[in-house]
Amino acid sequence: MTIKKISKKDMVKLLADWGLDSTVLIPSRDEGVIEMAEWDGKDISFLEWYRNTVIPPKSSFLPPMEEMFTFQKNGNGYSIEVSAEQRKRIIFGIRPCDAKAIAILDKVFMDSCEDPYYVSKRKNTMLIGLGCNKPYDSCFCTSSGLSPTESADVDLMFTDIGDDFLIEEITDEGEELLATAGAVKKASQADVASLKKARAAVEGMVTRKVDTKNIIEKLQASFGDSDYWEKAADKCISCGVCTLLCPTCYCFDICDELTKKHGARYRGWDSCGFSIYTKMPMENPREEKWRRVRQKVCHKYEFFPMNYGVIACTGCGRCIRSCPVNWDITHVLGSVPVEQPIKNR
Amino acid sequence: MAVTNISPKKKKLDEQNVYLPSIAVIERIIEETPSVRTMHFNFKDEKLRKKFVFESGQFAELSVFGIGEATFCISSSPTRNDHLECTVNRVGLVTNALHRLGVGAEIGFRGPYGNSFPLELMRGKNLVFVGGGIGLAPLRSVIFNVLDNRNKYGKINIIDGARTPADLCFKYDLDSWQQDKSIDVSITVDKGDENWTGMEGFVPAVLEQVAPSASDAIAIVCGPPIMIRFTFPVLEKLGFSPEQIITTLEKRMKCGIGKCGRCNIGNIYVCRDGPVFTYAQMKNFISDEY
Repeated sequence: MTIKKISKKDMVKLLADWGLDSTVLIPSRDEGVIEMAEWDGKDISFLEWYRNTVIPPKSSFLPPMEEMFTFQKNGNGYSIEVSAEQRKRIIFGIRPCDAKAIAILDKVFMDSCEDPYYVSKRKNTMLIGLGCNKPYDSCFCTSSGLSPTESADVDLMFTDIGDDFLIEEITDEGEELLATAGAVKKASQADVASLKKARAAVEGMVTRKVDTKNIIEKLQASFGDSDYWEKAADKCISCGVCTLLCPTCYCFDICDELTKKHGARYRGWDSCGFSIYTKMPMENPREEKWRRVRQKVCHKYEFFPMNYGVIACTGCGRCIRSCPVNWDITHVLGSVPVEQPIKNR
Repeated sequence: MAVTNISPKKKKLDEQNVYLPSIAVIERIIEETPSVRTMHFNFKDEKLRKKFVFESGQFAELSVFGIGEATFCISSSPTRNDHLECTVNRVGLVTNALHRLGVGAEIGFRGPYGNSFPLELMRGKNLVFVGGGIGLAPLRSVIFNVLDNRNKYGKINIIDGARTPADLCFKYDLDSWQQDKSIDVSITVDKGDENWTGMEGFVPAVLEQVAPSASDAIAIVCGPPIMIRFTFPVLEKLGFSPEQIITTLEKRMKCGIGKCGRCNIGNIYVCRDGPVFTYAQMKNFISDEY
């Protein structure tokens, strides 16, 4: 793999080149909330302040609310219309943890039963990674087997080495994207050496650790330990923010809206943190809060890996940063009782 | 003898947008009880009517446009395919809207989804159907399927119940099955009224009285969770192994295709991996949330 480089001064030009036939999304601040949003063609000040987005990039593929189709009432009947058009997009600045999260969502939405809304967005979007240079205290990506500066889940990977970015071409499509970009040069031996140095430095900044060894077995063994889970859920207020802002959480709801004759079906984010999520007329399997907290943790670290072979947590730390009562998944995972008797089975 | 594990359907769904409903037209409505109705419907698209196939035990997402979608088992049998039937208990937003519709109204239909009752494995066996309330709906699909191929199965025993005589669903079917000399039918209510001349008592208790033999038999159970919880131990007492007991699980669902997340029991998704499971499979679930 050839490593290329670009001067930070030339970034506007590069993004503008890409913007000629794609919509470019970059980390943007809207009333303090950071998320990937359409670039205005000028401002790249995010390079100064950006650590990670608040709203995870899943929102570009599985939006908080999206229209699935519209329908129209004609007399007694209905006609349905789908708008299938999808623009080409380039997301610049996605962090390695969030790129991994998209790869995890791919497993759900691009399986043998494809989700057309996700797939059309995914197939038309290039991911350009940007390595972290200042991880949060709440970050623990290295415990999920990830690196804050490396990624195999993007098309191109950028790493900050001071005045320049070094660029790794991960996919053929990524390579093509650089082929016509004038400001991109080949990196020197010295550049590659500074890349390694920069990486090691950032990696050392991720100090929060979770022991995920045998986590599936540990969670299985303590699944019925309601005392443990009640304690783990004690301060949770079921606000759902940890799931809504989680880059790998994908639960959704489907709902309709109708004016007199026109209507639409939408889907939007939902959360296993809400008791109504599983509520049925006769009973609710997860009425108690501790069951919902257990579901959230076990889905990420037990059920998802059983089904898809990968832990559905990237260690991005958003759930820790956003929790209003300082609930901390790393504390919960770190204290799973290993040799408790199995109750409530 | 034992039913091996019932596997999920692996077939790839149609290439088209899986979330797009097909339009179906209500052709007939049967008010089963004050809160339950069965709707007979057909696809508006003639080609789809011919092309559409499903198996007993599968379910669908029905929608009232502008109100939303909800999950229902198909309560008619693939062996009687001039129309489809779903039976709707009026409990929430969508079911109330479905109850407001009349003949000729158009609804949305997505499906069929999920696996089905293992007819191949049931072939040649004695069958015991245990139903309660609206739980007879999925059983009814497979009962018709079996009755329409009567010589392929052994003895058939149907035990069905409801809280009161007014809560019995599919009375017309129960009547015709009672006339059928080739099957044994026991109908019970928790509490009868002045006109009730049949059995009284909970379904599990009646099952214990009827005591169908477990030999070379399969029991298929569907009813409210409380009935299922009390029925399994009775069946085990009668000698049925967990592998000989089949049920279909009800969960809140939205997508029907294993994505939206809410029918999750451990690593199982009821919509994708079920809804039909043996009791043996359920015992192996890594969660107790069913």
